[in-house]
Amino acid sequence: MSSIRRSDPRTRATWRWGGAIAALLVVQSIMLAGLFWLLANGSHRRDAERGFAEDCRSLATLSSEVRRVELREMLAHDIHRDRFLALFAPDGTRIDGNVARLPPHALRAGSTVATITPTELPGKTSDVARLRTCAMPDGTRLLTGVDLDNAEGALRIIERSLAYGLIPGLLLAIGFGLVAGRRAATQVDAVRGLTERIVAGDLDQRLPVGERPDSFRLLCAHINLMLDRIQSLVIDVRGVGDDIAHQLRTPLTRLRARLERGLREAGDVAAFQASADAALDEIDQLLGIVAALLRVRELEDHARRSRFAPVDLARLAEDACELHRPTAEDRGIVLSCDIDPVAPIEGDASLLIEAMSNLIDNAMKFGPVGGHVALLLRQEERAVVITVTDQGAGVPAAERPLVTQRFYRGRHDREGAGLGLSLVKAIADLHGFTLRFAETGSAVSLVGPG
Amino acid sequence: MTHILLLEDDAGTANEIALELGAQGYAVTHHLRVADGLAAARGDDVDLLIVDRQLPDGEGLDLIERIRAEGRRTPALVLSALGSLDDRVRGLRAGGDDYLAKPFALVELVARVQALLRRPNETRDTRLIVGPLDLDLLGGTGRRAGRPLDLLPRELKLLDYLVRRPGRIVTRSMLLQDVWGYSFEPNSNVVDVHMGRLRRKVDAEGEPQLIRNVRGRGYVFDPAV
Repeated sequence: MSSIRRSDPRTRATWRWGGAIAALLVVQSIMLAGLFWLLANGSHRRDAERGFAEDCRSLATLSSEVRRVELREMLAHDIHRDRFLALFAPDGTRIDGNVARLPPHALRAGSTVATITPTELPGKTSDVARLRTCAMPDGTRLLTGVDLDNAEGALRIIERSLAYGLIPGLLLAIGFGLVAGRRAATQVDAVRGLTERIVAGDLDQRLPVGERPDSFRLLCAHINLMLDRIQSLVIDVRGVGDDIAHQLRTPLTRLRARLERGLREAGDVAAFQASADAALDEIDQLLGIVAALLRVRELEDHARRSRFAPVDLARLAEDACELHRPTAEDRGIVLSCDIDPVAPIEGDASLLIEAMSNLIDNAMKFGPVGGHVALLLRQEERAVVITVTDQGAGVPAAERPLVTQRFYRGRHDREGAGLGLSLVKAIADLHGFTLRFAETGSAVSLVGPG
Repeated sequence: MTHILLLEDDAGTANEIALELGAQGYAVTHHLRVADGLAAARGDDVDLLIVDRQLPDGEGLDLIERIRAEGRRTPALVLSALGSLDDRVRGLRAGGDDYLAKPFALVELVARVQALLRRPNETRDTRLIVGPLDLDLLGGTGRRAGRPLDLLPRELKLLDYLVRRPGRIVTRSMLLQDVWGYSFEPNSNVVDVHMGRLRRKVDAEGEPQLIRNVRGRGYVFDPAV
């Protein structure tokens, strides 16, 4: 179990985050402490060396006896007892001062850190000091130094504060890393859980977004949007599947009954032929539905733009009117066409006239008998507008979003499979046109891209 | 006898097509595969190819491209179950002369076959006299046995189209495509209404019918009546 947990990428990520933040904090603390120590040490050394130089210079100006008195004076004034001063004869024996002997190394001009033997510090036989020696005019050597206990102490304090500060800091860092990692893991888990439920078939699931979304929540909002779209598509597809089955079942049932009756009742060739003819008509209708469905799908794929060419909508509108005029006259409908010249658009002439033809067809189907159907082509500002009006009731506002769906039929007292407007919408979409219904009356417009 | 090579992988469809074309007086050879079809199409006795796009061993259009590359001009009718208009363009680009989407009516197939086998009489004649008909395309008038027909410009064009294809089936979609210049399937029978008016003007009551309705979706102009 634990090995599975350890190999869980989320757990790994959590630990990685925690470890990374902790390591970062350690490195940063050590760097800070080191820098502080270096700077403090450097400053202390410079101060000490300045003092050494001053000692060498001032004591050198004095005579041998006064120098010893002065040296004693200086030691007497050293109330912190952290100064080392001593005079040595050229042979290295101590003349005076509080250091037993010269350190074994020859001391350079600057300063050095060495272990010396103090003579006046009770209980201490050796001590670490920063010191310098310089030659006096009478051949003696002066040793001047300062006890490093203070500096060492400061270093210890830095070390201790570093250690004390680092432990809770480390804990904090690891804790924060774990929390951050856990939070990220939880967020990922939420998305993963959601996708699992979606894969299982529940498309109603959505991710929480919250009032003031951060970037991850914004991502969630986008995922939700995508889910909305997928859901509507799935509902669409399901609906279309159901619709197709329904749409085909009714005529198929009718067709079957007709053939059955023909077989049973038709007594002669003519009767058989009549029944076969009727059956063929039914089949043609069915094939028409199938073809229209395929066409809507194809148009929605937007793959047809490759065939676009400049199209004169005015000529198309006139042809559409001419195509439908005899049918209109037969039905006692006045079909009038009011066509303004418009700028040519990029499009597919056959599809555009099909859209107009469908709109005219609908207008004649749903307008009153003996009514008036008009096709208008206008250039409105920068957009081309094709409008078809009739004197019917128009599409009720509530049905407008529905009429372009496949198989939607506002009224079942007219023939047709309810594919006309979905085809028009698909053609309009392909051309960047929008399908618009008038607020009042019965008018449908195709509005070009402005 | 006119020989048609049919490449179709569905046996039922192939059988129906062969029977229908056989009844129209064509000899039909049927193959299932591109490889067999290619060998047969290279024969000299083939007058027309009918090629389905999706075949068991490849794409029917490849066959057409191959024989076109070999310089053969045998007319080809492409069939496809895809029914997509982009496919139609691809089919024509590959060297097909016409394209028919499944499902199609057999009448439509026969009409296309006839149209491909016999190029219409596309002379630039502006006066056509066929049987009792006398069409003056420049003047925009037509007469039948001396009787003025009072045709609208579109009706004259329709009649012109029919008259140049005597005895052959002309379908609604062919008329819409060739006379109006648009290829789409109208939602209602608008083309038939135009044809109905034309027929009433051409074939007055009591006169023999020059334009016959072919069951399903077509018309035939028959001057021999």
